[in-house]
Amino acid sequence: MRFAAFLLTLVPLMAQEGHPLVGSWRGDWGPNAKDRTDVTFILNYDGKNIVGMINPGPDVAKLQNASLDASNWGVHLEADMKDRSGKLIHFVADGKVEDVTSARRRIVGTWSQGGMKGDFKITRDD
Amino acid sequence: MVMNTESRVEKDPAGAAILFAQDGAPVTIGSQLKGRGGRGAAKQKPPSGPTPRWPDGHPLLSAPPGQTGYWDSGFGGLTGKNGANLPTNLEISEVPFQPWAKALYEERRRTQDKTDPHVRCVAPGGPRQFHTPFGLLIYELPEAKRILVLSGGGPRTWRVIYMDGRPHPPADDLDPSYLGHSVGRWEGDTLVIDSVGFNEKFWMARGGLPHTDALHLIEHISRPDFNTLKYEATIDDPKAYTRQWTGGWTIPWAPNQDFPEYFCQDNNRDFGHLVGQ
Repeated sequence: MRFAAFLLTLVPLMAQEGHPLVGSWRGDWGPNAKDRTDVTFILNYDGKNIVGMINPGPDVAKLQNASLDASNWGVHLEADMKDRSGKLIHFVADGKVEDVTSARRRIVGTWSQGGMKGDFKITRDD
Repeated sequence: MVMNTESRVEKDPAGAAILFAQDGAPVTIGSQLKGRGGRGAAKQKPPSGPTPRWPDGHPLLSAPPGQTGYWDSGFGGLTGKNGANLPTNLEISEVPFQPWAKALYEERRRTQDKTDPHVRCVAPGGPRQFHTPFGLLIYELPEAKRILVLSGGGPRTWRVIYMDGRPHPPADDLDPSYLGHSVGRWEGDTLVIDSVGFNEKFWMARGGLPHTDALHLIEHISRPDFNTLKYEATIDDPKAYTRQWTGGWTIPWAPNQDFPEYFCQDNNRDFGHLVGQ
């Protein structure tokens, strides 16, 4: 275990160095620290728009509205996503990219879905 | 202290020029490059001989038979007009960035290249190959209808340019790579290279100019005299820039020397020195 951790310190992270939102992002959202829901975003940039999907698999949702404000690295994400009961509910997430030049950059912000409000944090995968 | 963010040449308090190599180590200009004299050196270089040529008359981009030498890369940038840069270069303020690309470039400058993949021995794709320190060789293999571009620095990258008239593969068949897919042709005395199929895992130029997988690179390479290689790159990347733009630099010939042996992976401590802000 200790050796594996040592190896991880030696392996350079292979970042995606193009548009900062492109790639797969994993994390969670929820109303408080104990009540969290895992979420995965696959984001791409077609030259004009941010496109992508949320939670690829049987419950995949298509990203409906997404944008990046490069002046402050603000991110806006919207889609209809199933809640825990399987019901489609619209969510809106607003956050900021943190440590934008890093391979393991993050998007952190607020999340609202139906009547529930909370926070979210997703980290870019390599 | 004066810093040119593209060429990464600084002046120490005494005014001596110091090159900050890709590997982050300061190298006094001239110590790495024997016989060059350094930028601003008082000693005048002897006049260059004529461009060496193949029997059919087109320029020879390597050492003539019986001689040694290599292109003494490590200087120059796509923007700015200082030093080895071409007088036609844009200033950085004139580069037609998309807003996100401009913001990312500025963030990379603000954080002083601390996340530059190249110092972690990632291959130098695109123009980066031509200003990676520790030398460059360009070998034409007429019987194979290929040109090889060999980098002495970084992870000692080599790149193939197909000269047999083949087109690029269809976009869906291209596996994005650090060096892309390159095809070339001679237009008079200029080698024109057209490349596509780049991945997004590297910085295409020192300083952090962004690119995307849409990068279409057109390079013009010529040898106007024996001692000079002129490198010019047109950046066509509509995802990162609002229009095509062009920049380049010249690279001097290091005569009577073999290609130095250098491996980025050998005791690389440089990224530990890049602490950024």
